[in-house]
Amino acid sequence: MMRLGRHTFGADATLMMAIVNRTPDSFFDKGATWDESAAYERVRAVVADGAEIVDIGGIKAAPGAEIGEAEERARVVDFVAGVREEFPDLVISVDTWRASVADAVCAAGADVINDAWGGADPELVDVAAKHDVALVCTHTGGATVRTRPYRREYDDVMASVVEDCLAYAGRALAAGVAAESIVIDPAHDFGKNTFHSLEVTRRLGEMVGLGYPVLVSLSNKDFVGESLDAPVGERLTGTLAATAVCALAGAQIYRVHQVVPTRQTVDMVLTIAGRRQPARAIRGIQ
Amino acid sequence: MRIALVPGALALSPRYASIEDPVAELRAAVETALDWVGPQPRLLGDAHGVIGELLERSGSSSDGQTADGVVVVANGSATRSEKAPGHFDERALAFDDWLREALTVDPGELNHLDTSLAEELWADVEAIPELATLLGGPGPADFAPAETDPGPQRPRVRLIGVDYDDDPYGVKYWVIRWEVA
Repeated sequence: MMRLGRHTFGADATLMMAIVNRTPDSFFDKGATWDESAAYERVRAVVADGAEIVDIGGIKAAPGAEIGEAEERARVVDFVAGVREEFPDLVISVDTWRASVADAVCAAGADVINDAWGGADPELVDVAAKHDVALVCTHTGGATVRTRPYRREYDDVMASVVEDCLAYAGRALAAGVAAESIVIDPAHDFGKNTFHSLEVTRRLGEMVGLGYPVLVSLSNKDFVGESLDAPVGERLTGTLAATAVCALAGAQIYRVHQVVPTRQTVDMVLTIAGRRQPARAIRGIQ
Repeated sequence: MRIALVPGALALSPRYASIEDPVAELRAAVETALDWVGPQPRLLGDAHGVIGELLERSGSSSDGQTADGVVVVANGSATRSEKAPGHFDERALAFDDWLREALTVDPGELNHLDTSLAEELWADVEAIPELATLLGGPGPADFAPAETDPGPQRPRVRLIGVDYDDDPYGVKYWVIRWEVA
């Protein structure tokens, strides 16, 4: 069983986590949902597309203007409360590394804390435990929050991913987070160059079976762009190819900009793998 | 004796299950008919083993009780539409109408089944001659010598119901039940 806050799913469920940015400057949508009404429309659209989870973020991952705690709260807390009210069955995740912000959004109805920065704030695990919500434990190779990788190297990147994710999960367990509410994420491009992200993709199977569902955040990222020499906006095909590889390896949560094509890719791969039945097959067997 | 006619559609097999069952209504009718026939029926014409598989899953094929029912696996043409497995053949509708009439009104006509046409229309009728015997009694060759012949002793056949009669994918399916005294 996988438990994300007030929602439970089967142990082998695959879930779409749709990105909803409450930022004026995120790399993909460039502030398209900065306006609150546009952000609500985005939530409604991804729910209609079948997303089980929304991941609401108030600060872009890349370096940029300093966003203080108060400003981050202002961007996400009331919005979480509004989404909670309108969509009681939706899993609400909030992308934050700050324990104080996590505490506020959980009080407002969040189910998941998506800590993209690998436990930079040591009190985050306590907040997750206090609210009995899920926690996404990512690997950043020790990167400082909101920095790009620069000449970072690993003896074995996947070994580092496994070691750090399990260590973070262990801290969460020790703090009282339920085992069925811990998710691990190799965090493509965080503390990793393109070659690292490709290797993590290629070896994702080594994370599956560690006892926690694996989340992958591949959508339109630079490792896709650099692999295909494709600018942002032309990375869907590459994203879906990476998605397919991760699906075959057994990833379960997909953090995405485009819900429908990702869901179709995952479902097709699982169907090929014999882990999902066809939607409705009759050709040749009438 | 209870007799049920069901189609041998592979889509009924658990081996070919989908998330949404494309033959849900047909499956329901088939399962009801198999239950009605009773345990351990004699199975005629199940070339792909689909119905045997369903019986096995329901436990009807191996509970040790005496077999007194018959399940006949057959269906009409598979050429009833452009998307049908055998494409559209304009003779299909008339053939199926004739076969339905014979099955439900005048089983004696089943002895006159045009097997060549059936083959051209991709109809699964291999078991129909045996069904004709079950429903229509002995054929002329089996009659006793004239001096002792009491005349054809046709069994008393009662049509219990036509539970399914449709062609959702260009193949004519029937689920039909009879009781023969």
